[in-house]
Amino acid sequence: MESTLQSLWLGFSVALQPGMLWYAFVGCLVGTLVGVLPGIGPLSGISILLPITFGMNATQAVIMLAGIYYGSQYGGSTTAILMRIPGEASSVMTCIDGGAMAKKGRAGAALCIAAVGSFIAGTFGLVLLTVLAPPLASLALSFGPPEYTALLVLGLIFLAYMSSTSLMRTLLMACLGLMLGMIGIDNMTGHFRYSFDLPELGDGIGIVPVAVGLFGLGEILSTPSKNVTAEVISPKLRELLPNREEWRQSVMPIARGSVLGFIIGIIPGSAHIISSFLSYALEKKVSRRPEEFGKGAVAGVAGPESANNAASTGAFVPMLALGIPTGPITAVLIGALMVHGVAAGPQLISEHPQVFWGFVASMYVGNLMLLLLNLPLVGLFVTVLRIPYAYLYPLIIMFCIIGVYEVSHSIVDVWIMLIMGILGYGLRKFGFDPAPLVLGLVIAPIFEQSLRQSLIMSNGDYLIFLQRPIALGLVAVSVVLLAMSAISFVLHRKDWRAKLAEAEAGEPSA
Amino acid sequence: MDRRNFVVGSAAAAAALATRPSFAEDAYPSRPITFINPFPPGGAADVVGRPLAAVLEPLVKQPCIIETKAGAAGAVGAQFAANAKPDGYTLLIHITSISGFAEVDRLFGRTPKFTSADFIPIARLVADPCVFLVNDKQPYKTLKEFVEDAQKRPDQIIFSSSGLYGALHIPTALFMKAAGGLKLRHLPTNGGGPALTAVLGNNSQVLVSSVSAANAQIKAGKLRPLALFGAQRSKALPDVPTMKELGYNVEYYLWVGVFAPKGTPANVIAFWAQNLDKAAHSELFKTSMNNLGQDVEYLDQAAFAKFWADDAKRIEDAVRTIGRVEG
Repeated sequence: MESTLQSLWLGFSVALQPGMLWYAFVGCLVGTLVGVLPGIGPLSGISILLPITFGMNATQAVIMLAGIYYGSQYGGSTTAILMRIPGEASSVMTCIDGGAMAKKGRAGAALCIAAVGSFIAGTFGLVLLTVLAPPLASLALSFGPPEYTALLVLGLIFLAYMSSTSLMRTLLMACLGLMLGMIGIDNMTGHFRYSFDLPELGDGIGIVPVAVGLFGLGEILSTPSKNVTAEVISPKLRELLPNREEWRQSVMPIARGSVLGFIIGIIPGSAHIISSFLSYALEKKVSRRPEEFGKGAVAGVAGPESANNAASTGAFVPMLALGIPTGPITAVLIGALMVHGVAAGPQLISEHPQVFWGFVASMYVGNLMLLLLNLPLVGLFVTVLRIPYAYLYPLIIMFCIIGVYEVSHSIVDVWIMLIMGILGYGLRKFGFDPAPLVLGLVIAPIFEQSLRQSLIMSNGDYLIFLQRPIALGLVAVSVVLLAMSAISFVLHRKDWRAKLAEAEAGEPSA
Repeated sequence: MDRRNFVVGSAAAAAALATRPSFAEDAYPSRPITFINPFPPGGAADVVGRPLAAVLEPLVKQPCIIETKAGAAGAVGAQFAANAKPDGYTLLIHITSISGFAEVDRLFGRTPKFTSADFIPIARLVADPCVFLVNDKQPYKTLKEFVEDAQKRPDQIIFSSSGLYGALHIPTALFMKAAGGLKLRHLPTNGGGPALTAVLGNNSQVLVSSVSAANAQIKAGKLRPLALFGAQRSKALPDVPTMKELGYNVEYYLWVGVFAPKGTPANVIAFWAQNLDKAAHSELFKTSMNNLGQDVEYLDQAAFAKFWADDAKRIEDAVRTIGRVEG
């Protein structure tokens, strides 16, 4: 512990040099812009700026590039709350209650809570990263395909809590999502599945085009058919900040989201994208008023936003301690370190302590910078909502198209988004919630791959899920959750979903 | 198109408009050149391509832009380049696996979307030999011990790869064939990173990887190198014998080369052959590659064409050996 503090001291002595502060600031600023502007994502932001870092040393380069990454996680919530455009998979859940809060005139509050939650979660993740990186890293390696499969089973069970509509509708949407997730090359045999001879569909249907289409575009398409009042939501300055009740409601979700997000972020692979989904489902499960979710629940913003920031910090654990990438962005950062002659691997901490600790310390500074950068901007961002719909909505459609095209420079993705927009309109008309569809799409490919990988490892024996301790633990949690629902079903106790279904039957949805 | 491309593109468009009256005698190149990178940012073509573009810009006096067209393990970008106008303003940076796509398509009875004949090879920039690795918890100290054990329990030892018919599956298949039809169980993942993670966590026991991608793990003692797929021993791993020394006739590199679409004029090809030669021998490019743990292994146009023809044969052979997987 003492040596950790000494090392951290070394780190701050590096990170607080004026030059380093400047690079951290530039990184955070670019990251915020990249997150807010739908036309560009953190991945392309980092790779475009990579050549600029050729003249810097490795510490400066990684501080700036990492700033873009975690800065974009702050910025990503802005478009989700104001326009219901999820810039990336991790802000899908923020769209739901963030968008609903904005409609109620609480956009400022939602943005503030997202920024503060991100700050707390990011800092919490950093403390754990500082203290626990090496032991946690070995945990990450023991997370193989069987553990992944068990985690995703748990994710599928949580699906039932995802939605604000009835269980039947939720499961229908989830199945549709799982089916869409099957499109693409079968990784195990090389066959194309439902790809209609389009090589672009070989990698499957992307999450971003589907999410932007269903949420962003679907929302806009359904507006003209509603009775839109000319009244534009323009909150007064005093109303920008969350009130005491809203703060109180967000304390526990932020805490839970931080822990959950960090744990999931450590897992190598694509697990980090389900952190915000799981956090949302968890908040709904523990909430005393689950019926508020989808209609502007504060916890529905605070939890997922904290979770995705903690996950982005957690993702640095395997990257820094083991040199293995947890996702495309950490892969680019490892590439950036290598270009500067620093080999990312198990020996990074001992061979290049000034890089490792300077980087960790700069993230403490960077998180603080982001908070100071984002809070004053809340007022500015909210003024976007003052633009009359007639001008705002065409702009949003343009941003949707540019943003989706940017992800992989594919016109097929734009078509997918437009089709999903029309589907989203239909779903809204018939009272279906698109969130479970998106989660199904996220889970299907990872679930299928890890299940089949597990069975390859065990030569077809399903007992592999019970023979490995972490997998066994996760399976046990799933069994307990299912048993609890079964018991309450047997005892004929109605839960909130049944009540909701009754209410729906009574009054046809608008 | 990313933001920078847009700015550069608009600037170039404005410049082109301004000089319109005298455009007839424009010498090539008169506008920015796009290099297609068919892999996600951070992939092999990206980390080689970005320093290359930085070195080329002052030489050709035009902006050199890397445009990412990722998808289907590099097939989407290659197809895009194959169908691009062959005017010398769209070039392709691709790796070893470019030779395998058509063969995989034939295997499944699909019409190949493009073949090797759709591209003109211009230069090879780097060639990183692959290395046969086992997890450090495994008992094997030599390749001989490994082969003996694998023969005793066929289909029990697991190897991971970056994907079916992928750049890391093919060398493993070549070795299995050379070792007299050795049977190992295949654990496909979706990239070089996940494949490395699988072997580090002992979820697979064997991985064939490029030296540069695995060197940090080898130095840390997490992975044990048993044999190298290069023609000579590697400077980074001087103690590791080559496959040929051990009596297996296999050779395999992860190389990165520059291609032009078929039909590109000969003077344009000559222009790039000359400038890529200069760029590959520049100090800046050498330093960048050394930092990545690689050496510049430059081949000029004639040598690369010959090398590629041989390499493509090996890869097509490996794809046919793997055959269709029953699933």
